Amino acid sequence: MPDAVEVEDVTRVFEPRKKKDERVVALDEVSLTIPEGEIHGLLGPNGAGKTTLVKILSTVLLPTSGRARVCGHDVVEETKAVRPLIGIVFGGERGLYWRLTGRQNLEYWGALYRLPPAAVRERTRTLLERVGLADRADQRVEQYSRGMKQRLHLARGLIGDAKVLFLDEPTTGMDPIAGREFRTLIGELKGEGRTILLATHDMVEAETVCDRVTLIDRGKIIATESPRSLGHVISRFQRVDVEGAPEPVLGRIAALEGVSAVTRTEDGGARIEVSEEGATAEVLRRLVDAGVTSVRTSLPSLEEVYVQLIGERGLEV
Amino acid sequence: MSGLRHTLHVLALAARNGFLDYSVTFTWKTWLSGWYLRVLAQVVFFALMGRLLGSTEQVHYLLLGNAVMLAALGSLFAVAGTTWERRAGTLPLLVASPSSPVVVFVGRSTWALVDGFLSSLGALFVVAPLFDLGLPWPRALLIPLLVALVGASAYALGTFLGGLVLRAMSTRNVVANVAWTTILAIGGVNVPVDFYPRPVEWFAHALPLTHGLQAIRDLVGGAPLATLLPNVALELAVGTAWLALALLTFDRLAEGGRRDGSIEFGG
Ligand SMILES: Nc1ncnc2c1ncn2[C@@H]1O[C@H](COP(=O)(O)OP(=O)(O)O)[C@@H](O)[C@H]1O
Ligand SMILES: [Mg+2]
Repeated sequence: MPDAVEVEDVTRVFEPRKKKDERVVALDEVSLTIPEGEIHGLLGPNGAGKTTLVKILSTVLLPTSGRARVCGHDVVEETKAVRPLIGIVFGGERGLYWRLTGRQNLEYWGALYRLPPAAVRERTRTLLERVGLADRADQRVEQYSRGMKQRLHLARGLIGDAKVLFLDEPTTGMDPIAGREFRTLIGELKGEGRTILLATHDMVEAETVCDRVTLIDRGKIIATESPRSLGHVISRFQRVDVEGAPEPVLGRIAALEGVSAVTRTEDGGARIEVSEEGATAEVLRRLVDAGVTSVRTSLPSLEEVYVQLIGERGLEV
Repeated sequence: MSGLRHTLHVLALAARNGFLDYSVTFTWKTWLSGWYLRVLAQVVFFALMGRLLGSTEQVHYLLLGNAVMLAALGSLFAVAGTTWERRAGTLPLLVASPSSPVVVFVGRSTWALVDGFLSSLGALFVVAPLFDLGLPWPRALLIPLLVALVGASAYALGTFLGGLVLRAMSTRNVVANVAWTTILAIGGVNVPVDFYPRPVEWFAHALPLTHGLQAIRDLVGGAPLATLLPNVALELAVGTAWLALALLTFDRLAEGGRRDGSIEFGG
């Protein structure tokens, strides 16, 4: 059984179209494997190359070099085999026909996915039910709220019974409750054995629904791990929480090489952030020497790793 | 579903989709008061030009030519049909679907075909009596058929050009305008085709409208019906050739967007 998605050394360069434009390396030798049935997060700030990878995998963009396969089929050469297997969902309000009703939209795409009319009608009905649009099915999409459009988008991506779903920032602009429901839905899809690649710049989203997460920045993959153990990848990042440490001791620790920050917490404690391998040992030694016994080390959350690695840019939306 | 049935089904759905988009731009009322009055005025204007030039023959020549031209003009809106999908953000979804985008685009702009057809006939049958152009009964019944043929072959050209502008949307209006002005200038609308030097004349024969319009002129002029057949066949051949070219190139042109990255996700 081939993996659902295999990406091997994929590079995509955008050559300048106008003189003043710069050459952009949107993906730089990216490799990634997603086994069948996995929900895989592609996490990175704006401009990281997420959409570029999703486009290549969904056969609307060619890689400059490297290979990519979906269910064993090459996305460049075997588009005929790939296209019936995939579903594409992108965020925002575009990609739907606003003059058509929700039902008409789904029936239209059902036909394009070559389903017999009876199957289209049945599937449209169940999908509308599933994304909670059954009672608005016969209204034109232009009257839908943003969240409803996005749910219709997901239904559209499922009309062809896709084995592999590519979701590109599907919850952009959704309110938190709608976002949560959306993620529940994604969880259900996993239960049906579908493979999902979820591109997002939202750490919470990646952390809550994904089996594994790939961190990407400036076209390069930084790490691929489960959300929980992503912290281990960069074991140099650790944090030490202390209680009752004297101010001068904390001052000296802050000056140590490899200590990136010392912040006081509201309850009188402090958090020491370490960003170099080996520095943790020195921090602990100093604390013990000073008689501080309430010490706890831990790994940072995905969010913290993300911010550490990618910097404040990661927080831009 | 079988290939042909599937294709027809997608065509019909795409056509409905196009009509729904179009119905937002025009209702019957706004179509009549906005567009139709304008095309009437246009045909009347050219007929009056003919009167200025002198002969009744001129009046009728210009009237017929400009009325039939409306069918070609309407159909050439198909050139911009691809913009609707771009604007909706559905182009990547179409390219990535297991169906062929050209089927969707052929269906998508049929509203333009119908619009051009109705404008043309609406102008012809209203303006002709005003200028004493007799439309001989019952052979005039064949006029709608021939106008539809002209519209359809212009539609095929429009679809082909729509593929060409798919990746350079900003050129769509220029391309459409060049197409209709060329047909207007050399297709025998205002001056006979042989008015121009030979190479231009040859080119005119490859354009939609030229032969169909000639057939309509002959029909109105009272020529035996059998003598119209060669022109009808030629118009049909020209239209079929443009359609074939559109079918051959369109999907390839669309797929070409995969290389240059011009198939943008909505967002
Ligand atoms: N069609 C294109 N032409 C030129 N540059 C592009 C094109 N598409 C994307 N890029 C550039 O490639 C980089 C990655 O973009 P993208 O994949 O959209 O990032 P993300 O989805 O992670 O925000 C960005 O610098 C972007 O400007
Ligand atoms: Mg993106």
